[in-house]
Amino acid sequence: MASELVIKNLHASIEGKPILRGVDLVVRQGEVHALMGPNGSGKSTLANVIMGNPKYEVTDGEIWFKGENILEYSPDRRARMGLFLAFQYPMAIPGVSVANFLRRALEAVREGPRPIGEENPSGRPAPRKTIPPSEFRNLLREKMKLLKVDNSFINRSINDGFSGGEKKRAEILQMALLEPEIAMMDETDSGLDIDALKIVSDSVNALRGPKLGLLVITHYQRILNYIVPDFVHVMFDGRIVRSGGKELALELEERGYEWLRPEGSEVAVND
Amino acid sequence: MTEALATTGFSREAVIALSRRKGEPEWMLQKRLEAWEIYEQTPAPLGRRGDLGTLQRLARFHFQELRPYLPADGDGALPASIEEGLRDALVGAAERSGLVLQRNSSVVRVELSEELKSRGVILTDLDTAVREHGDLVQRYFMTQAVPLATDKYTALHAAFWSGGIFLYIPSGVEIEEPILAQIWLDAPAAAAFAHTLIIADELSSARYVEEYASAFEGEQPSLLSAVVEVFTKNGARIEYTSLQDLGRNVWSVMHKNSIHEADSSVSWVMADLGSRLTFSNIGSNLIGNGSATELVGVFFSDQDQRFVIKSLSNHVGLSTNAETLVHGALADESRVEFDGMIRVQPGAQQTASFLSEHNLLLSKHCRAEAIPGLEIGANEVSASHGATTGQVDEEQLFYLMARGLPKDEAERIIVQGFFEPVLQRITLDSLRSRLRRNIVRRMRGGHESEADWIEAQERWEIEGVDEGAVSFDRPSSEEEEIRLLPE
Ligand SMILES: Nc1ncnc2c1ncn2[C@@H]1O[C@H](COP(=O)(O)OP(=O)(O)OP(=O)(O)O)[C@@H](O)[C@H]1O
Ligand SMILES: [Mg+2]
Repeated sequence: MASELVIKNLHASIEGKPILRGVDLVVRQGEVHALMGPNGSGKSTLANVIMGNPKYEVTDGEIWFKGENILEYSPDRRARMGLFLAFQYPMAIPGVSVANFLRRALEAVREGPRPIGEENPSGRPAPRKTIPPSEFRNLLREKMKLLKVDNSFINRSINDGFSGGEKKRAEILQMALLEPEIAMMDETDSGLDIDALKIVSDSVNALRGPKLGLLVITHYQRILNYIVPDFVHVMFDGRIVRSGGKELALELEERGYEWLRPEGSEVAVND
Repeated sequence: MTEALATTGFSREAVIALSRRKGEPEWMLQKRLEAWEIYEQTPAPLGRRGDLGTLQRLARFHFQELRPYLPADGDGALPASIEEGLRDALVGAAERSGLVLQRNSSVVRVELSEELKSRGVILTDLDTAVREHGDLVQRYFMTQAVPLATDKYTALHAAFWSGGIFLYIPSGVEIEEPILAQIWLDAPAAAAFAHTLIIADELSSARYVEEYASAFEGEQPSLLSAVVEVFTKNGARIEYTSLQDLGRNVWSVMHKNSIHEADSSVSWVMADLGSRLTFSNIGSNLIGNGSATELVGVFFSDQDQRFVIKSLSNHVGLSTNAETLVHGALADESRVEFDGMIRVQPGAQQTASFLSEHNLLLSKHCRAEAIPGLEIGANEVSASHGATTGQVDEEQLFYLMARGLPKDEAERIIVQGFFEPVLQRITLDSLRSRLRRNIVRRMRGGHESEADWIEAQERWEIEGVDEGAVSFDRPSSEEEEIRLLPE
């Protein structure tokens, strides 16, 4: 059975300020959803809340993944279950090399979630399964070729001094490596040049299939020409105010968002 | 042994008894007595109002419950713990050109390669140096680099020093392989004084590695007082590395200072991990034109440890250079004060001096205070200083966890990454890996088993940014591919 991510009436706030005001959304393996909407409408917030960022407080609603309510789960448990977020602003972590980090991440995700109650046991956690360097090397080489990532960047610190475009590409490299079941791409297209956009889209398309569900957050129709969505949703003021097929994206391109503004909502701009 | 030396507590009688016992020349006895006078008249440094109170605590230490001198055991055999420590030394027997081992109050072993002896290098205990190279010792011992009146503790050191190391490198001699010194304290309620006097003559160079360690049980604290004096003549280069990994029942006071002639350099590497309380002073006096210094410091404190670290880059000559880079992590209730001073004397034109110090707080109860200072008396100067104190970044933590890493491990990786820039500056591989292991061990979550810890240690080399263990390098063939070095 295809894995499902089910969001029900999700409300979330940051520092006491409500951002999500009742989001309903279902993303299944094999489907591609686009999420659009004006700046500050809550798209990144939604992605972060799904991934379990502790900065946000969920005040109401539910998030179900693979039949489990994951609201109380730690981010690492969610990742090990098969969720992935390609960040809009990936964090730099100085002093930690991409290669070593990715190898650990792959081991963790392959290990999968530990049985509940054994995540922080008073006894001893299960021994780690390590991935032999040779196997990791082959896998990484394959994905790097796919994304036309420069060899040198593997020895650099995570996102440290990466250009905007390099960071985005590195996020998709991670996604390709970790093979999630449901992946969210938060404005991966912003900051990519035309060639890079093509490369990234091609790689994402190569990953498309019955085993991957995608939520593509974007402001631009262009990426959707490459990664053609099955569904398009528009978020406004913390709610999904309109859903449709791929033609909705074209309509938005033409008409903007204002016609979708729900009554009584105010203009929210964050930058 | 005369009574005054055998009992606990420091006194004028004990000073005289110590000097007599060593059969010292009159000038050294007079120097000791002068120091004792100063000790008695000088108040202990108490720090500033509102600081973390560590110097006050040190001042209240029960100095008078310590034995000022511990005679060496009759047969000279070393206890198993010290033999083991020597086997695990930062510089192994095959890699070093010389060795000095001090146990409590006595130097018990001195070795120097025949080659270096034949080239005129002198490595001895300080008692021997007083006898055989009295002129040099008289000129350099606690006169310029660490004058005996620097503070109350240096005065005590000058009055009661015993053991001690003397290294002289003649002009033009370059010592590639490091000289290792291990200083051991293995008795409770004892005071040990470790003195290191290094004179590097013109255009000579050497690498010197000092380890401070202890091996005794129990609550009764001992004191280690260390003074290191380095003199670099024109064009000489010294690389001084120290690892302080004393037990938690040891208090320590250290003063290390270098005096530079023209175009000479000293690079200090200091790692502080152990002891209950350490008051550490490091300074470089860049007197000669074109001289340079570098200080790379790493510390990690936990439980109720307290460190006070003071650094001074004193620019006197023309075109001198200094760089200070210190990274430290604090856990539990530990407290660290860092006081880093750049002083550019009038006339010290074309000075370049940089200082940065970063503290990472790993608990809500630890406290760090960093005070960078800058005094500039010249006008053609490029100087900058900065200090930061922060916690593990929540967003970085979330990023790693979003990739499947458990919180403990994510935190550990971030801390490892925090130390990496300083670790990369350490040329001694064994120290780098010792520090990494120490960091991993201290970061292990309370629930992790011993086996996990060992595994984490073994994995460290591939988890840090380490050139050796897993490196992706381009093969010489034209085909672009990445390759892992074989494990
Ligand atoms: N730390 C914070 N404190 C207060 N408000 C915040 C904080 N972080 C985000 N917000 C607000 O939350 C709202 C939603 O932000 P979010 O990043 O989810 O929007 P978005 O739809 O992703 O926008 P964009 O298209 O610009 O990426 C914005 O109004 C933003 O200002
Ligand atoms: Mg956003």
